[in-house]
Amino acid sequence: MTVSIIGAGVAGLTCACVLVDQGVSVKIYEQSDAIGSNACSWYAGGMLAPWCESESSEQWVLDHGIESIEWWDQHTSNLTKNGSLVLSMQRDKRDIQRYATLTENHRWLNGSEISEMEPDLSGRFERGLFYADEAHLDSRLALQQLVGYLSSKNVDVQFDRSITVNDCNSDYVIDCRGYGARHDLPELRGVKGEMLLLKSNDISLSRAVRLVHPRYPLYIVPRAEGLFMLGATMIENDERHRISARSMLELLSAAYALHPAFGEAEILEIGVDVRPAFSNNLPQLRRNKNTLYVNGLYRHGFLLGPAIAKLAAQAILDESKFLEVKPCALS
Amino acid sequence: MPNFYNVEFDNALLLGTAQYPSPAILTDAIRHSQVQIVTASLRREAGGSGAGQNFWDMIKGLGIRVLPNTASCYSVKEAVTTAHMAREVFDTRWIKLEVIGNSDTLQPDIFGLVEAARILCEDGFEVFPYTTEDLVLADKLLQVGCEVLMPWGSPIGSGRGLNNPYGIRTLRAHFPDVPLIIDAGIGLPSQAAQAMELGCDAVLLNTAVAKSGDPVTMAKAFADAISAGRAAFLSTPIEMSDMAQPSTPVIGKAFLA
Amino acid sequence: MRIVLNGQYCEVKSTMLDQILIECDYINPAIATALNDTIVHKQARVGTVLNEGDRLEVVAPIGGG
Repeated sequence: MTVSIIGAGVAGLTCACVLVDQGVSVKIYEQSDAIGSNACSWYAGGMLAPWCESESSEQWVLDHGIESIEWWDQHTSNLTKNGSLVLSMQRDKRDIQRYATLTENHRWLNGSEISEMEPDLSGRFERGLFYADEAHLDSRLALQQLVGYLSSKNVDVQFDRSITVNDCNSDYVIDCRGYGARHDLPELRGVKGEMLLLKSNDISLSRAVRLVHPRYPLYIVPRAEGLFMLGATMIENDERHRISARSMLELLSAAYALHPAFGEAEILEIGVDVRPAFSNNLPQLRRNKNTLYVNGLYRHGFLLGPAIAKLAAQAILDESKFLEVKPCALS
Repeated sequence: MPNFYNVEFDNALLLGTAQYPSPAILTDAIRHSQVQIVTASLRREAGGSGAGQNFWDMIKGLGIRVLPNTASCYSVKEAVTTAHMAREVFDTRWIKLEVIGNSDTLQPDIFGLVEAARILCEDGFEVFPYTTEDLVLADKLLQVGCEVLMPWGSPIGSGRGLNNPYGIRTLRAHFPDVPLIIDAGIGLPSQAAQAMELGCDAVLLNTAVAKSGDPVTMAKAFADAISAGRAAFLSTPIEMSDMAQPSTPVIGKAFLA
Repeated sequence: MRIVLNGQYCEVKSTMLDQILIECDYINPAIATALNDTIVHKQARVGTVLNEGDRLEVVAPIGGG
């Protein structure tokens, strides 16, 4: 069995790894010249936070997100399993109460417990929610490590190769082009996201911190060397190239509210891209002859990539399983 | 049954279409609660984007009526221009007119509201003004041509219910024939039922459904509560009293020592 | 010619509004246009000439409350 995968974002790479782990011969074609240069997963926060996400997601996300933490632990070396912290400004305290009601597997922290966990946030918050079983990873490093893993298994990852399904000389093709596949999948819509990469050595955090916000789930994810990923807006359009002043203001206000030290941080990068989503915001598999579309990962590329990749592999390796591949079913 | 500008409806729940966890949940909520009117808005769109068209196709596919709004307009001129653009895009003369006066409470600028309503009514719009429960203001809006009033319950998104039930009751009493839609501030079905028990014709809400843990079920809960409240109003509820009144007949009670 | 499209400078070759919309890739019918704060109706786009520095707004449906 040979499989060609089009697209080396998080969907393509996780599919490749799962197939390779099952002994399938895989080739990957990526149209851009380097990893991440045209993939929305390059801008992902890399939070593996299935319980937090269940605040606004279907049960499917929780069920399948949990298994992804283990998968990433096996395939990358940079998973941080310190849980995640949800905080709110005083004026949004109603929203954190709502967050607590709608999610599970958390516990309330008081001010001193927050200080103990994140000393730099000492004295700034009286209450917070702690999700002990969640984790985060450095999304860019993780993508690079997957490429490294695939190379070690002799998988050919070809960059700068823009090809179509018909050019692929293999038993199966998996189309993982994300929003790039919208002409084949007309129900796909784009959800714009904007993020910032900040650098500050005045403050350090040990886990992903979410700040409850009336419109977006804003988060700050610490990276090595004083880097912080600050994201992400959710806007119902498919613009890929423009951050608005309002979005930047809201992102930076959130960071500043979390800690004034972020006011002195350097803005290293502004990221804007569009997430591919179906109408229920759940990933789906679609089949057309020997092409399998893996798409609609929305804001859950890292959280659900491994799960949907496993379903994709199952669908390819056992034709009889095809009818069961309906992760999109609503409860 | 509510009747707005000579169109009759079976359902007195109007739903906003923002803030849902997904478009699929939005459409399920509309279908499940059998909502017949939804609000929508206009925002800038980039060339090449299909987002606006997709949203509009989705709403059209539901076969329901759209009430476009002028949300976040702070001046008469922008509200009027927005209304004209909405009429063209949504192909309706209906407009939910919002002229906002304060960004913290999102309460209407009542002077701008009357002026914008006057202009739009003259331009042939069927205006649904987002207003306060103020009686004199309501009268002015009717004078300039509005045939529906949308008094707020409390500030948008606050979930506080009816801040001033007395004011709503007064509006109902003064304008027995003008359709009243409570717009904004409703958080619970019981609050929506209260509005209907006071004689309101309909309730418009968004956040209370969209941000609930289960928008589809919550929309249905609101539809049921609104229907119950309406039935109660039509059945002429009893008046309150300070003293108990026995419900079991007193006469004929056995005399037992 | 340079116009301001939705708040951003935009270089366009055409001068007629209907042509500018095509040039800027507005292919869906569900849009409305305003030129210098005044609505330009669909039928009036052909024949509406833009000048250097004109402000064009193009809006489309979105969820709202």
